[in-house]
Amino acid sequence: MKKKDNSYDLEKITAEYRPLVTFKVKKSIGAHTPEWEDIVNEIMLNAIEKIKSGQFKGESSVGTFIYTITRRRIVDYIRRKKKIATKYLPDSDPFPDPHEQIEDKERAELLAKKLEELKPKYKTILYLYYYKDLSRKEVAKRLGISPRNVSERVHYAQKLLKKLMKK
Amino acid sequence: MRKCRYENLIDDYLFGRLSKEKREEFEEHLFNCPRCFEETKERNELILVVKDKADSIFKDIRIEEESKSRVREKIFGFLSPKPLISAVATAALVLIIVFGIIPNVIHKTPEFIVSDDAVRGVSITLISEAIPSEFKWEALGEDIKYKVFIYNDELLWEKSTKNNYISLPEKIKAKMTPGKSYSWQVKAFSSHGTLISASSKVQFTWQNNN
Repeated sequence: MKKKDNSYDLEKITAEYRPLVTFKVKKSIGAHTPEWEDIVNEIMLNAIEKIKSGQFKGESSVGTFIYTITRRRIVDYIRRKKKIATKYLPDSDPFPDPHEQIEDKERAELLAKKLEELKPKYKTILYLYYYKDLSRKEVAKRLGISPRNVSERVHYAQKLLKKLMKK
Repeated sequence: MRKCRYENLIDDYLFGRLSKEKREEFEEHLFNCPRCFEETKERNELILVVKDKADSIFKDIRIEEESKSRVREKIFGFLSPKPLISAVATAALVLIIVFGIIPNVIHKTPEFIVSDDAVRGVSITLISEAIPSEFKWEALGEDIKYKVFIYNDELLWEKSTKNNYISLPEKIKAKMTPGKSYSWQVKAFSSHGTLISASSKVQFTWQNNN
């Protein structure tokens, strides 16, 4: 994260942490909330500013530092929003976002196609575990295999998909 | 490459199953571990696609599930003048059965399975909501076995019972921290051990008055 002259490489920091901040902000306040992008910008600016001005002294890692700013900003956003509409908002940050959708539509289509091509054995496990949201134990019971076996199969299916997606 | 110990938490994180503390710890880790972040993003994508495009992805699997429920319809078919075509009807029927209006049927039909969509989280109402030393829920009928689960971020305790209430043993109470949040859940099983219903997880704060 640092340049040769021991100053922080702000471009690199922005490139690396922006996706993380975006991920967390969208998960917490909801990707359908139009403000998410402004909030991400604000957090990144704030972090860079603090690093630039020397307010960040390296007590923690850059990652932890940026995470703390992100979390505070989200809590602040939710609190303010709650004051406006106390009735409709839950008391903690809504998580996970039920309206979240995959952004890259083409990638989603491709992934769906690859999923379709999987053997029934793997499809069944993904269906029960990820679609039906059953616990490992429950899936194990349904399929008559051990919970450990469930994890292994899920893991293997993921690996297989990764490979197929790279092709 | 060695597996990061946080990798096991990815699914629980994405499904919102972690406690607030654990979730924040996990998120802080994500900000410090590019590999876990990559994996979490990919997993998130997979779950979203699975949920979004389930109709096409799981066509064949659903047919299998449906044919299972058709078997169920055959078994329960004699109870109804018309064939049961929708899951809702099946669920309604099963509710009637589990609520004990036709209790004898339970013994005769080992195939006592309900589609999860229809009944999960619906038919068990948790009565005790806060500060319970005794947990109570609405009974579903006779000959039903319940399993009670207490979670902090992980499963803390589980116990089976035939009653519709349970109290915590002192040993477990001693393990719980006052003021901390926990959640509990009840699952109901037929006399043959088949899961017929599961309540949602309900949070409570432990306040030990002793």
